Formats: sequence, structure tokens, C-alpha cells
Amino acid sequence: MTAKRKHSIRGKLTGIIMVTSTTAVLLTCLGFTVSGLLNLQKRLIADLSTIAHVVGSNSTAALTFGDRQAAREVLNALRAKPSIIAAGIYTARGEPFARYEPNASISIPATLMEDGFHERNDRLELYYAIHLDHQRLGTLYIATDTRDRNVRLKEYGEIAAGIVLFSLFVAFVLAAGLQRGISRPIVELARVARLVSQHKNYSMRAGRRLANNGDEISNLITGFNGMLAEIEQRDHKLLLYQTQLEETVACRTAELTYANEELLTAKNTAERIAEINAQLARESALILNSATDGILGVGLDNRVTFMNPAATQMLGMTLSELKEKSIHEAIHHSHADGTPWPESDCANTLAMRRGQSFKVTDQHFWRLDGTSFPVEYSSKPMLDEDGNQLGSVVIFRDVTERRAIERLKSEFVSTVSHELRTPLTSIRGALGLLGSGLLGSIGEKGQRMLEIAVSNTDRLVRLINDILDLERIGSGKVEIARSPVDANTVMVQALEGLQSMADEAGVRLTHVPAAGALWGDSDRIIQTLTNLLGNAIKFSPPDTTVTLTGVAGQTHFAFCVADQGRGIPDEKLDTIFERFSQIDASDSRDKGGSGLGLAICQSIVSAHGGRIWAESNRPSGSRFQFTIPLANSFVAATESESPAATAHQNGDAPSILVVEDDLDLARVMTTALQSHGIRTLHATRGSEAVQLCRQHQPSLIVLDLTLPDVDGFAVVSALRESPALAHIPLLVYSALDVGSADQPRLHLGHTEFLTKSRCSMADFEGHVIRLLELATSDTEGAQHVA
Amino acid sequence: MSHKQLLVIDDESDIREVVKLSLQLTEDWTVMTANGGAAGMALALSTEPDAILLDVMMPDMDGPSTLRVLQRQGATRSIPVIFLTAKVQAADRQKFMQLGVWGIIPKPFDPLTLGQQIKDVLSWP
Repeated sequence: MTAKRKHSIRGKLTGIIMVTSTTAVLLTCLGFTVSGLLNLQKRLIADLSTIAHVVGSNSTAALTFGDRQAAREVLNALRAKPSIIAAGIYTARGEPFARYEPNASISIPATLMEDGFHERNDRLELYYAIHLDHQRLGTLYIATDTRDRNVRLKEYGEIAAGIVLFSLFVAFVLAAGLQRGISRPIVELARVARLVSQHKNYSMRAGRRLANNGDEISNLITGFNGMLAEIEQRDHKLLLYQTQLEETVACRTAELTYANEELLTAKNTAERIAEINAQLARESALILNSATDGILGVGLDNRVTFMNPAATQMLGMTLSELKEKSIHEAIHHSHADGTPWPESDCANTLAMRRGQSFKVTDQHFWRLDGTSFPVEYSSKPMLDEDGNQLGSVVIFRDVTERRAIERLKSEFVSTVSHELRTPLTSIRGALGLLGSGLLGSIGEKGQRMLEIAVSNTDRLVRLINDILDLERIGSGKVEIARSPVDANTVMVQALEGLQSMADEAGVRLTHVPAAGALWGDSDRIIQTLTNLLGNAIKFSPPDTTVTLTGVAGQTHFAFCVADQGRGIPDEKLDTIFERFSQIDASDSRDKGGSGLGLAICQSIVSAHGGRIWAESNRPSGSRFQFTIPLANSFVAATESESPAATAHQNGDAPSILVVEDDLDLARVMTTALQSHGIRTLHATRGSEAVQLCRQHQPSLIVLDLTLPDVDGFAVVSALRESPALAHIPLLVYSALDVGSADQPRLHLGHTEFLTKSRCSMADFEGHVIRLLELATSDTEGAQHVA
Repeated sequence: MSHKQLLVIDDESDIREVVKLSLQLTEDWTVMTANGGAAGMALALSTEPDAILLDVMMPDMDGPSTLRVLQRQGATRSIPVIFLTAKVQAADRQKFMQLGVWGIIPKPFDPLTLGQQIKDVLSWP
């Protein structure tokens, strides 16, 4: 408390006032005392000097005359001055002359001291020289008591102390009153500040009453209050901000909550998608595992990276066993007959190299135990999202059973056909002989019945033939032997075959010649034309015309057979190509058709990669049209069946003209070359060869020397006449050895000679491929081989 | 027109009979028949006919096998052989022709024109 008091503003102010006033009083008292003392001393000295002067003057005579009495009397006069405690007159020699010693205890000194005042032993002594006419007569000694002066000094001190004490009291009382004017506002201020800081209540104000006198404290209070107001205002604003902030925060929180919910929803969705993906992955795995087809994933290094259980089971090897070699070496190394299969011809290799899909239907895969099985397989490049090739997928199917079933079916049809035909042969023969009348005459009705029996036997035979035909073409058993076919030639041949039938029916056959080099099987095209023309004649009334026309399009040639018969109802135009489809139920009986003719036509045209359709021929009759690919388009019907066939589509692939009149050999040669992705053209005659060269400018010509029309020498000389053809590389592939004398006559571009009997088909293929490579590097020269 | 001798080899007796009757009635040829490859071979060796009509699908020894045997025998090598067959597919025809037959006549045949067909194949007048 004391310490607090001591440090309180009131204590400090009181202290300051008291110290200040006390110091002032003390200094004043000290001043007065010193001044009084000095005055006392001065007066003492002045009194002593005056007395000494008077006594000195009065004693000159006594000294001059040595009158001691007179000197004593002079000294005795000092009795008037009680402060003089001793006095004496000394001769010039310093001997005491007269004495004044009122107090017996105090005597004058025996020896003189220097002139002037000396203070000692509570007395002030004066040695005064006595002169007369500038002649020193002696010395006067006077001593005055200074104790009086000291008493006075003590009195002064006591008075001063009293004054100080009193003034201290007064100052305290005054200070206590005065300091309140200063300290109260400050204390108030402090109190308010404390309250404010304690309660954080900024609406409080320090006493405004105290702040009205305009001094610094009031300024301070005003400032303090202003500050409080400011704080309060800020507080208010702060509160406002806080409220706003809270609102904003609430708003943001709501937004965040919403966003959070959305995130949660998104997360849930993502999780669901992930779940679905996982499900899909599981399903995919399940599908892969459950698939009955073998599925192999092949990397860019041609090594298998994935195989499904069906593949494992079919190939009889595990993935690790399969991985040891490239896929081709592991399962595709040989043909069914065991001859090696070069990897470069493998469909998978081609799929990888060309980035194209290939489908193969007639090859074999090999198991680990060395056995093989027939497969259909497809190889498809595996691409990522950016189209980069990652490898390939091979999907294969063991077709052993299917092949067996197909064989059985084919054998069955063939056998049934034969077995039906055999009794029919007897029936037909017997009926024919009966009907001929050679075995004796039969009545008219009997004759008529025999004719019915014969015609129906013939119909039954046709039906059997057609069923056999349809089965064989439909199942692909009958190979479509493609070669360049002249459209007009087949049209003329078909018309010739049907002329007699048309004559019988009284129907005119007209033909508008049209040019077109087809790519197909001429026998089958003629069969189709014959069928359509036969139908047209059958369904045409006498004196009408059946017209055969043709037109070459961009890729296909379209044949059109138009008649003026009764036509086909629109609703039957599409179904007419179905088996046993007849416009009228009585047709087959009346017209002797099997109901399979158009179905066979459709099979043949489809096998060629063409299209067949029927339309009404206004104003009467119908029009049957079908298309066959043109030789220069090479869009073969088997385009995805083998790598070679697909290569036909590739316009950049080299093309080779095979000039060979032996159709079987030509087929073997073209098939072999096509397996290398080489496009082939085929000519059986020399003139045809020259024409095809002009049309297609092949990269290489394979030439047989013996041809039906002109020989190989003539073909070469004809080609030499055309600058564009004179430098085509040539491989003379002949049964004959060409003598060195004849060789120059056969030179075209780079020319080589092969003798058929001395080389295998593999040698032939090797030569062709090497020549094609040479052709691209544009080397010329001649070389005799074999 | 000289008198011709024909040998018909077919396992079906009905067909043998019809063929024989047809040719006898229309062409006035001597027709011998055999019911299989072995019997036909024996008959061919003993009678050396002017031509042989040979069925393709027969039990035991089929047409092509019989043909090979005939071709191996000096006495029968030069006798023209015509297949009389129910196998009429183009591929079959081509294969048969390569075996060295003179011609192929499909079954069923028209009994009235069978003789003419044979004459066409063999270029007989």
C-alpha cells in the first residue's frame, strides 16, 4: 500500500510540492542566517575598528609621555562595552604599557601578533598600530567575545528549523488540496481505462466534467474518450464486419457444404464407375476365360503375352511354353503337310507389319506335342488410344469338327445325288425307250403319260443337279477360278447356248455388245447368264424380245437381262432369289424349273463379290441385273479370307502378269504369288497378254513360250514396240530350254530364264520376288538361270 | 457303217439293261455288259471291244481303277473309254479327263440320243 501510494500520482505530486517548497524555505533560511552572520561579523569588526581608532587616538599622548595612568584611564573607558573582554596598549617595542582585564581569567597576550583581526578561542582579537605623525608609537590590542555571536547564530538556526517545519506542514496541506485538481482526472482516467480493459466495455467515458478546463489532462481525457469512441466505433464496425464475415462464412460454408456434397456425389459416382469398370474387367476376364475361341495377345516382339484357357487347351501348351518362341515359330511354323511356312507369309506378321486385320480360314496350328489342327483365325493389330501399335490379337477356332461335318455334308449330298441319279437313270432310260415307240406302239393317252413321266424325270434330275450345285457353291466347295474374262465373249457364249430354246419359244434374243475385262470364273458367269436368259425365255410370251446388255462401271461390270413377259410383282422382287421361290405355285410344274436357279445365280455372283437384283421392266416384264468385278479393280470376293487376297486391294502392291495357257499351273502360280501379297493378272493367250500389259503395265511378266495363239517370242516383240512396255522385267518360265542363240530375241527389261522341269514352285517364287526387288532398284541386264 | 462292239461296265443291272437296249435299238451295235471292274476287265481282254462305257462309282473296283488297269494292259490300252457317270461336277469332269478318258456322258442319259453321244465322243460316223 505504501509502495502503491508512493507510486501513485497523488503521492508523487504531494512529494514534488513538498520537496520543492521545503527546499525553497531551507534555502531562504540559510540565506537569511548567512546574511545575518555576515552582518554580525561586519558590525563586530566595524565596532572594534571604531573603538580601536578612538582608543588609539586617545592613547597617543599617554604613550608619548609614558603616562601609564592616563593610558589605563583611556582603557577603562572600555567598560561601556561589555563585549570587550580584554584590551592592552603596547609600546613600540612591544612591551605591555597598560592593561584592561575586566575578567581575571582573561589576560592580554604577552607577545604581539601581526596587525589585523585574528579569531581564536571564542574571541576576535585586533592588533591596531598607534601612529602619531607617521611615527609608530605602539600597538593597541582589543579582544571581543564572539560567544554572543554564536548564540545569535544558534537562534537563527532554531528559527529556520521552525519555519521549515511549519512550511512543510503548510505545503503538505496545500499540496494535498492542490494535487487533487491534477490527479483526480488522471486517476479517473486510470480507473476508466482499467474498467475498460477489464470489462472491454468501450462505451464507458472518463468524466467529461473533468475535461472541460482545457488543460493537457482534459485534452488527454478528451483524446482518451475520442479514442474510446473510435474503438467503440471500430468495435461496432468490427462487429458489423464480424456479422458480415459470419454471414459470408455461413454462405461460404453452405457453398462448401454444397461443393462437398457434390464432391461426395462425384466420389460416389467415380466409385460406382470404378466398380462398374472392375465389374467390366471381371466380365471381360470372364468372357475371355469363358470364350470357346482361343485368344492370344501378341507383343511387338511377336511373343505371346496373353492366352485364354481355351487357347491353352487347344494348343496344349501353357503361356510360359508358348512365350519361349515367337508365335509363328511356336504354333504356325509349318503347313499341314509339314513343309515349313516362312514367317514373312504369316498372317500375324502381315497384320503387325501393315497394321491391317487378316482373317485366315484354311491353315493349321501346331500343338506342343507336334500334332496340328485346322484353324480359322484372325489377326488384328492392337492399337492404343493414340493409334500406336502395341501388338496384335489373334483369335482362333479349332475347325476340325466343322471340317469333318462339312466333309460329311458334302459327301452326303454327293452320295445322295449319285444314289438318286442311278435309279433315275434307269427310269429315264426305260421311259425314253417306251416313249420312243421302238418297243411297240402305245395308245395316245399312254404316250402322253410317258411324256409326263419323262419330263418330270428330267425335272427331278435338274433339281438334283441344282441342289448339288447350290450346296457346293454355297459352302465354297466349288472354287471360283478367277481369271480375266471378256464380258462380251461370255455374253455371246450364253446367247448361243440358248438360241434354240428361244427359237422354240418364239422369243427374239437381242444383244447389245459391251466391252469389259472381268475378274471371275467364265464358266460360272455363263451359267448365271444362261440361267437368267433361260428364265426370261420361259416366262416370255411368243413374239416378244429378251435383251442382254452390259455396262462397265468403275469397279464392276453390270449385266442386264430384260424381258417383256408378265413381270414380277414388286413385293416378290426381293424374295425371288430365295430357294424354291416361285412367283406362282404352278410355275415349277409348267416351266420345269427347279426353283433353285436364281438361288444358284445369287451364290455365284456373291462368290465373285458382285450383287444380283431384279426390277420391273416398264411397261412390262422384268429386268435381272448382276455385277462382276472388273479385272483392274481386283476387289476380290475373298478379300479378307487370306493375306494375299487382301493384298489385292493394296494399289501399291506390285502386280505380275502370268502368261500361261495351262489353267491348273496358272492357278498354282498365281496362288503362290498372291500368298506373298503380290497382285496377279493372268492371260492364257499371247494377244490377251499384250492387251493386259497395255492396260495395267505390270511390274513383272512371267511368260510361257508355248501359247495357243502366238508364241512367247511374238509377245516379246509386240511389247518391245511400245516404249512404255519395252522395259518391263521378264521371267521366261517355259518347259523348253531356251538356247543362248534365242535368248536375245526374248529380252525385254531385266530378263531371266527358268525351265519348268528344273525348278520347284518355291524356286519360282524366289525368282519372282528377287526380280521384283531388282525391278524396284531398276537394274537391267540378262542372266540365265537353271 | 461297220458293226461295232461295245462293252458296258456298270454295277447296276437295270442300267446295263437300259443301255444295252437303247444302243441295240438305236444303233444296232453289239453290246456286252459286265457288272464290275474285274468282270469288265476280263471281258475286255477276251473280246477287245471297239469302245467301253464305264461307270465311275462302283463297289470293289471303281471306274478310275478299272481304267488304270485297262490302260496298263497292252491289249486294252488303245480301246477308247467313256465314263458314263452320275458325277457331273465340273471339277470331277476335269479330273476324269486328265485320267485319259475320251469323254464323259452324264447319267441320266436320253436313251434315244445315247448312241449319238457316243459317236460324237469317238468321232464315229
